[in-house]
Order: sequence, then C-alpha cells, then structure tokens
Amino acid sequence: MAEEKSHDKGNGGGGGQGGPPQVSLRVQTPRGLWSETEPTAADRRPVYPISEKASRVIEDARAVFKFTEADNEYALLLGKERLQPERTLASYHLAAGTLLILSVKGGNA
Amino acid sequence: MAVIEQALSLEQVKEELFMAAQFAEAAGLVLDARGLSEENVKFRVTFVSRTGEPFFAEFDCADYPVLPPFIEFTDETGASRGLHRYYPNVFHGTPCVCMRYSRKAYGERGGPHSDWRMFDWRLATSGGGPIRNLAEIISDMHAKILDATGRLG
Repeated sequence: MAEEKSHDKGNGGGGGQGGPPQVSLRVQTPRGLWSETEPTAADRRPVYPISEKASRVIEDARAVFKFTEADNEYALLLGKERLQPERTLASYHLAAGTLLILSVKGGNA
Repeated sequence: MAVIEQALSLEQVKEELFMAAQFAEAAGLVLDARGLSEENVKFRVTFVSRTGEPFFAEFDCADYPVLPPFIEFTDETGASRGLHRYYPNVFHGTPCVCMRYSRKAYGERGGPHSDWRMFDWRLATSGGGPIRNLAEIISDMHAKILDATGRLG
C-alpha cells in the first residue's frame, strides 16, 4: 500500500497533458545539490519519465557538476540501497522529491 | 613542524566542510566539527555499513590542503584509536585508509606507500580517479564502508 502511494506521488509531477508520468528528484552530490531549483545555472533538471533508467540520472548529475573523472565509480544511492543503473525509476517507486545520493568512489591501493 | 599556518588550514577546512556536511547529512552520516579550531583542525564522521555497524573516523587536517588529512578510526568516544577493531574490513590491514588522500597511507607515516609523494595527494589512486576535497573523501569512504561485512580485527 505504501509503495502504491509513493508511486502515485511520483506520477504527480508528470505529463499532465497525457505525456508519460514523470518524477521530480533531488540528487545530493559531493559538489552540491541538484534539484528543480539548484544549482541555478544548471542546464537540466532532475525531472524524468518514470520509465527512465537510473543510469541516465547518473550521467546527468555528473554533467551538471562536471564529474569528468572517468575512472571513478559513480552510483546512485537511496539510503543505503544502490540503484541498479539498468533499472527504471518506476521500479524503485520513487516519490516526488525523493533525495538520492550520487556516490563517488575512487580506487583502492 | 607545520607546513602551513594552522589558520590557513582552518579556513580551508571550514570552506570545504560546508559542502561535506551537506553531503554527510544527506547520506545519513554524522559529521561533528564542534571542536574545530586553529589549535585543533579536526572533525569526526560516523559512517555506517549496510548492515548497520557504526565506524568512527577522525580527520586531522593540520597542514591541509597542502598535505592530505590524517584519517584514523577510533572508538566511539575518540579516546582510543588506530586499532584494527575500529576499522571496517574494506581497508588496508596496516591498518589505514589506503588512498592518496590519506596521510596514514604514506611510508613516511608508517603506511605501505613509500612510492607516493604526499604533495601529490590529489592524484588518482590505482583503480580509480582523483579524489580532491573533503566531501569527495567522505563520499569515497562512505561508498566503501557501506560494503563492509565486519571489522579488520
């Protein structure tokens, strides 16, 4: 039941004109928060069709904050859960405004 | 002997802690910088593994950012430090966080890497890219500690 509600909220921001349902997210990175309003100069916003894959959110968050270091490992975390890049946002039943973490992981010596 | 004035280290740490604290809070970590001062450029972060086990790390940022922080795991109070049992089992058995951003990893500080130069701490560690500031250090440690299945000792 809770999942159902959460999913509905996620759809709430979406394609009110008959487009695909969308979800607005917030993504905290080590270089700042990405949201519908922050950073002001961002060239894109974390609003996605729920059919979008998590990998797209990672790519966009990296682009906004210029995480160009290709050798680091980037992952989206929902609490302690690592979102699988190939899975859709819908499969995680993300509510509107859900806060995700862009985790940046370096090597190991 | 200090490499740079502590006041400069303190200023830099305060500047970077703004972002680091924001990241830590969002990630569910506890960052405690209440004791931060020119004489004590240190703060503490409580990390938690995916299994719910807490790990307590102290970041000594004397001479930062010329030199990387000295990162040490401690007991909950911070009174006892550096023992294997305080370390999550995702780090080097020295014990230390074996990354260029960790002062304890360098040979001159008892770590395994006599092949690294401390002034180059922002270079990439093998198997990854560069980690350049406190928020990224915390992110890297958080990502690794999540996967810890226990302690080094």
